Amino acid sequence: MNPILDVKGLTRIHGTECPSCLDMTGPEHDTNVCPACGSVVAAANVSFSLQPGEILGIMGESGSGKSTVVKTLYFDQAPTRGRATFRDDDQSHELFNLNGAEQRWLRNHRFGMVYQNPNLGLNFNISAGGNIAERLLMNDLNHYGDIRRRASELLTRTDVMVSRMDESPKQFSGGMQQRVQIAKALATRPPLLYLDEVTTGLDLSVQAKILDLILEIQHELQTAMIVVTHDLGVIRLLASRTLVMKYGRVIESGLTDQILEDPQHAYTQQLVASTL
Amino acid sequence: MTAISDTPILEVQGLAKQFSLHAQNEIVPSCSDVNMLAFPGQLAALTGPTGAGKSSVLKCIYRTYLPSQGSIHFRQADGEVVDLARISEQDMLQLRRSELGFVTQFLHCVPRRPADEVVAEPLILRGIALADAVAQARELLRRLNVPERLWRLPPATFSGGEKQRVNLARGLIARPRLLLLDEPTASLDKATTGQVIDLLREFKQAGVAMVAIFHDPELVTALADAEYRLAPPRSLTQSTPALEAMQS
Repeated sequence: MNPILDVKGLTRIHGTECPSCLDMTGPEHDTNVCPACGSVVAAANVSFSLQPGEILGIMGESGSGKSTVVKTLYFDQAPTRGRATFRDDDQSHELFNLNGAEQRWLRNHRFGMVYQNPNLGLNFNISAGGNIAERLLMNDLNHYGDIRRRASELLTRTDVMVSRMDESPKQFSGGMQQRVQIAKALATRPPLLYLDEVTTGLDLSVQAKILDLILEIQHELQTAMIVVTHDLGVIRLLASRTLVMKYGRVIESGLTDQILEDPQHAYTQQLVASTL
Repeated sequence: MTAISDTPILEVQGLAKQFSLHAQNEIVPSCSDVNMLAFPGQLAALTGPTGAGKSSVLKCIYRTYLPSQGSIHFRQADGEVVDLARISEQDMLQLRRSELGFVTQFLHCVPRRPADEVVAEPLILRGIALADAVAQARELLRRLNVPERLWRLPPATFSGGEKQRVNLARGLIARPRLLLLDEPTASLDKATTGQVIDLLREFKQAGVAMVAIFHDPELVTALADAEYRLAPPRSLTQSTPALEAMQS
């Protein structure tokens, strides 16, 4: 089977790059700020592949570059360099060579994103149903009744009370806002979904329900996902393979059970030892 | 029909595993110089004192541990022989879905899901419809004496023995070609242990190859076709084949 996504050498540097940026940052230098020019190396030479229907975990602490990876793949940020090939049915897209319109099309039709902060994923000035309708409209669903029906289906699927679909998500709890984001992301049945710290900051019982929902969706729709988190429990539950990042670098990758039971890198050993 | 064959499905040669603990700056040997064979329709028992690395051998075969040295040749259903110490993560995941099974002492499963669905999961992953898979799961739970009133409950609150039965059922349901068993009967009563012995004998009849660790010598006598006694491990100086394969 061909991977749905192939990422090679993905690099993102904030600031002007100097020749020392990559040589003088990273885990062995204990920083991601270039001492020569002060630029921040958010991600450097990140490479991985993702199979259709697979859940890949990206684990690391704040500032490790894990969110940068999915934000570039979702076109929220432009990479400094690197390649990402997205295979969709028979077509192959070089993500970073596409023009703005093509990138928007993929983002609206074939990718889904759920952010840690619902503010980024939802428009609080329109209703929950309206947020989903917006995405459906971009997918050429124009009939009011059809849109409303599909939106209420999606909200039902993600356990949001349909009776509240005309309220602004501003009035919802954090867990419900995440459910609306997930419903919105799933509206187009995308083959690829990015989840960026989706359960961080939620109550444990709410976290559990969101994680259950994500697993059910993966079972039902065979959606490939990249799950970014600092939470080993989330990784253990969701991901079949895991990348561990520190200071913008992938320091280790492997089967999730192997990463958790036989971590190779000193930093991963420390992470695993401090949480289990 | 027995499916005894002269061709091994698994050949472990010179396997060793050691942990490099960076914080303690220490190398901890876990198993070394392990050589063993497993054949279709037969059970190979790993024996030896505590700390000889019996569980480590099973975890290396399953890639939960990265082997430090040696090879683990596995004959796939399609006849191709691959080295489990060196194959890609994707290939390993594929083999875990379709050909390898691992039953440990402890049940690690998705919380909040009812026992029958936990057991059915390996079938669902192979594309069998939920209703069919759950029906088969219940059949197996019945055979392993798990009371019917528990089937729709999540196993988190079950007793140790009940959890272990759920765990066994999940490991056995998909009839893997190679089944790894790490003390699968450690907390079971006599009657259920008897049921497990009958089931494993059926598996042998059906041609399943097994590598097992039993705490009870009687089970070794009852089920094993070969016994491999492990000696306490020694330290090594070489590095990990899977990492080398990935780097090359």
